[in-house]
This record gives sequence, C-alpha cells and structure tokens, in this order.
Amino acid sequence: MRRTPIDEGMSVIVGTVSPDGLPAGCRAICATSADDLKTMTVYVPMATSREVVANVATTRRLAVVGSYPPDHSTMQVKGTTTNVRLAHDSEQELLRLRLDRFADVLHLLGVPRRMVRSMSYWPAFAIDMNVEEVFEQTPGPKAGTPLR
Amino acid sequence: MIRLAEISRCFQGVIPSMIVTADSRGIPNVTYLSQVHLIDEKHVALSCQFFNKTRRNLDENPNAWVEVYDPLTMQTYRLRLRFLHSEKSGPLFDAMSLRIQAIAAHTGMSGVFRLIAADVFEVLSVEKNEGFLAETPEMSEETSVDGLRSEMRGLQYISEQINRAGCLETLLEAVLESLDRFFGFEHTMILLQDECSGKLVTMASRGYGESGVGAEVRPGEGLIGTVAQQRKILRISGLSSELRYGRTVAREAGNMNPEVPLPGLPDAQSALVIPLTLGDRLLGVIAADDRDPLRFGEWDEAYLNIIANQIALGVDRMSDDAEVSFAERQAAAPAVVPSSAAKRVFTFYANDDCVFIDGEYLIRNVPGRILWKLLGDFQREGRTEFSNRELRLDASLGLPPIKDNLESRLILLRKRLDEKCPDVRIVPTARGRFALQVGATVELVEK
Repeated sequence: MRRTPIDEGMSVIVGTVSPDGLPAGCRAICATSADDLKTMTVYVPMATSREVVANVATTRRLAVVGSYPPDHSTMQVKGTTTNVRLAHDSEQELLRLRLDRFADVLHLLGVPRRMVRSMSYWPAFAIDMNVEEVFEQTPGPKAGTPLR
Repeated sequence: MIRLAEISRCFQGVIPSMIVTADSRGIPNVTYLSQVHLIDEKHVALSCQFFNKTRRNLDENPNAWVEVYDPLTMQTYRLRLRFLHSEKSGPLFDAMSLRIQAIAAHTGMSGVFRLIAADVFEVLSVEKNEGFLAETPEMSEETSVDGLRSEMRGLQYISEQINRAGCLETLLEAVLESLDRFFGFEHTMILLQDECSGKLVTMASRGYGESGVGAEVRPGEGLIGTVAQQRKILRISGLSSELRYGRTVAREAGNMNPEVPLPGLPDAQSALVIPLTLGDRLLGVIAADDRDPLRFGEWDEAYLNIIANQIALGVDRMSDDAEVSFAERQAAAPAVVPSSAAKRVFTFYANDDCVFIDGEYLIRNVPGRILWKLLGDFQREGRTEFSNRELRLDASLGLPPIKDNLESRLILLRKRLDEKCPDVRIVPTARGRFALQVGATVELVEK
C-alpha cells in the first residue's frame, strides 16, 4: 500500500516560493482529503507559517511532501492554493490526535513522545489546494517519478 | 545572526532536515535531507546522491531554504542558502562520501548508493524558528573546564600506558580500559590487519559481553572495512536513521545483497571508527560505538585520533620487538594447566585453512596453522617447548618474511584457546620461547 501525505503518522512538510523566487517552508501538523487527493487541506501552525501563508497568498503555488519515518516511504503533491483560512475550533481535536499519532510513530524509533508533543500546533491555518501533480519520492532511483 | 557553530548538533544528521527549492517557473519542491554538512561559518554542503528535482531546480534558481533540527531540544533553525558550486573530488567530497560509502557497504549497496557530488552553498541567514516549540525544553549540560582537564589527564594516562606497555596484549587492553575510565567509551574494539590475508582481525574488545576476539572484517566491508580501505575517520550519529535510509534505497533499487552485520553493539546508534596508520601503511582500526545517538562529537574524534596515532606507533614498535614482549607475559601465566579427563577433538580443514574444536570453529589462517603444527608435534613427539624462531623458519606456516606480526598471531591464538578450549594453553617461558600446556586427551583429525 502506497502511503500518502494524508495518512496518520506521516511527517508532512510544506514548500512555497515568493514572487521573487525565494523558497520558504514549514512543518505541517497534518493533511486531509475528502476526494482521493483531488483536493487537499494542509494544516500549518500559525506560529511558524507566516512566510508560507504570505507566499501562497501571492503565488498560490504549493508543494506538500509526506514521509513515513520508519521506512522513508514518501510522496509529494503539488498544486494551487484555493483558500487560506484559520482552522476552526472543531478541527483542533483532529490536529491534536494527528500530532499524537506522529508522536507514536517517532516513539517507535526512540524519540520520546514529549519531544513531538512540545511542538506548537494551535492556532493553525488551513490551506486548501487543488492537487495537480503527484510524485513518488521515496529515496532511491524511482524518486521523482510522476504518479499522476 | 546565529553562528552555525552554536547549532552544530543540528548538523550531526540525527533528525532529517528539509529543503525547499523552486524552478524557474516558480514551482516549489520540498524534500528531506539526510544530512547538512557544516563547512564553516559561511558555508554548508548538501549531498547529491541522485540527479533529482532539487538538483535541477538549483541550476535554474540558486536560492534554497533549509530547516534543521537540534536533536536534543527539537528546536528548529531556518537557513537561507545560495547554491555556489558542486565538488566531485577533494577533501570535502571525500569526507561526505565516506559516510555514504560506509552505509552503502553495510547495506550491500556499494557502488550503487554513492555520492555524486557535494553541493556547496553560501549561508545568507540563520534564524531560530521562534514559536516552533510550545514548551521550553530542558537545556543540555555544557562541558565544564574541569571536564576538559580530566580528559587531558586521560590523554596523558593513556599515552603513558602505551609507552610503558611491555607487550602488545597489555598495550591493547590498557588502551581500551583507559578509554572507558577517562572518556566513558564503554564499547570499544581494536582490529589489526593480517598482512597475509589483508583482513582485519579483532585483537581486543571491551564492553560487548563476548570478546569477539578473532572476528574478521574484509577491507571495504561495513563501517570498519570502509574506514580501513579509505584510511579516513568515520563518525556517524543517528546510525539507525542512516541505516533505515540506506535500506530504503536498497529496497527501491531492488537490491538483494545481504547486509553486513554490524560489529559490536547490534543496536548501536552512533559509531566512531578511526584507522591506525603509520604514514600510508594501515595497521588496523579502533572502533567505538554507543546506544546514545549523540555520543561522539568533534571533541571525541580529536581525542581518539591522537590516541589512535599513539596506538599505531606502539603496535609497530611491538612487531619489531616481538620475541622480547611475548616472553614478558610469563609472570602472568600459571605454570601448569590442571589435568582433566576430558577429550578434545581438534579438526583441521585444509581447504578452508581453519581449525575446529569439538565441532565448533576455533581459529583460521596462520594462527590455525601454528596451532596445528604445535598440536602435531605434541602428539607425535611429545614436544611441549617451542621457539618463535622455529615458527619463523617453518615455511609451511606461511609467515611473511618481514613484519610477520607473529606477536599478534600468538596473542590471538592464546585468547581463542582461553575462550574455547582452556584445557590447551600457550604459555610464554623465556625470551622468544613458549610452552604448549595440554590438560586433556587430544585427538587430531585432518580433513
């Protein structure tokens, strides 16, 4: 089974670029999709995503990579931002649970759960995107192969 | 701006870093990095192992954004970088390549999983990622001046031990004991190169339960073999993370080669492996490992490198003075072996050049042939007294004419007998002479 950025326990990172070509990124808490990755919502902590949000507000381009730490299974999706909003209070529990699942996965690798739980996750921005490209990105000779 | 030296833990490769680049059309790309290599206060290097999208983007837009993690506090730092150039040879390339070669050698991926280039970047800015942590983590303990002083005393003590050692065995054991006592290196081993086979043979170890003396490593095989082949120091933090990465690449590449078992701790998280060399000549390797992923820093590397140079000089001195040194062990050895009614069956496999005791592997190559000669002479003629000189003159043993390492071969043979067959012992008796003490009925079988 191929892991995707919306799966539990994934390490999710967001990449953007400014209008003058300066890249910037941040760690995301998690990503979700209700339509098999045609669209995706990625949640980023407000405390660390100022530059990312500013970039997608102007260029709208977004790359999101999800990797499963125990075996480095990795996928990258790229697309266009359709909306940026403050995450609703009703979404906070989801974000806390997903951070806990990530802590569980890293705990298997010897990282204390408290380390992951010390990360900021709330308040958060929710960035909605249309997914236009999907790439295999597991380290190795197939990394970069388009999947869609 | 934060100095890179202040966040040096972030560059040990324990937690993967991330990089964002963009192509000329303004489409971003994100990927994980196994390590960011710190060059100096203004430059870092990233490893290019595959001709990937990141690499193509940098040719179109040299700007990059990297986030690195402090593995103790989880605090992150953001680096703005500008790509300068790629290096495909030279000291930087060699230093970065060694780490990858060692992991590749361990995971059976030598030649496939390799460094293509070291990509060098100018560091434009470094910022602490404020707000990343909701809670303030505990700060780690800083090294005190007293700590540095005790390490210096440790260096002095080890240097004296090496200088005073009367024989190779004492030298190796004293070094490992001192490393444990003064530097807290609890798991260490020293391997010396057998000049006949080219293999590295474990001559002394500490902190592993079973001694492992006699265990062999081929040059180029695993972490230790890679260091021996390249004659370069290898320090790896977060070893399990590096190996997971290597295994992933091996799996994705369809590699079916078996892994080389890690010598030492099966669950080691960090390793420091240093070649023992005199000029260009390799004498062996000293290796330390630990379950703490951050156990070995630059400081440990510097100290152990000084000690390795001293060991190399000491080992070389011993091999020139073997007859005196082996005899000096006489006082430590009991005069006789208690007699026993036990029967011991020694089997020599001529094709493999190895000796088994009661069906279990004992020793191989030159030490195996020496043992077979001693046991044969004992059984045929009842001889128990032997000399180093007669071994050197016996062409059937295959000792090289110069630098024959007879000293280390006899130590290896004696230790293996102590471990596997205490009924049969080799005991020094005088300068260049030793006795075979047999306390059991011995049967010899040649196959």
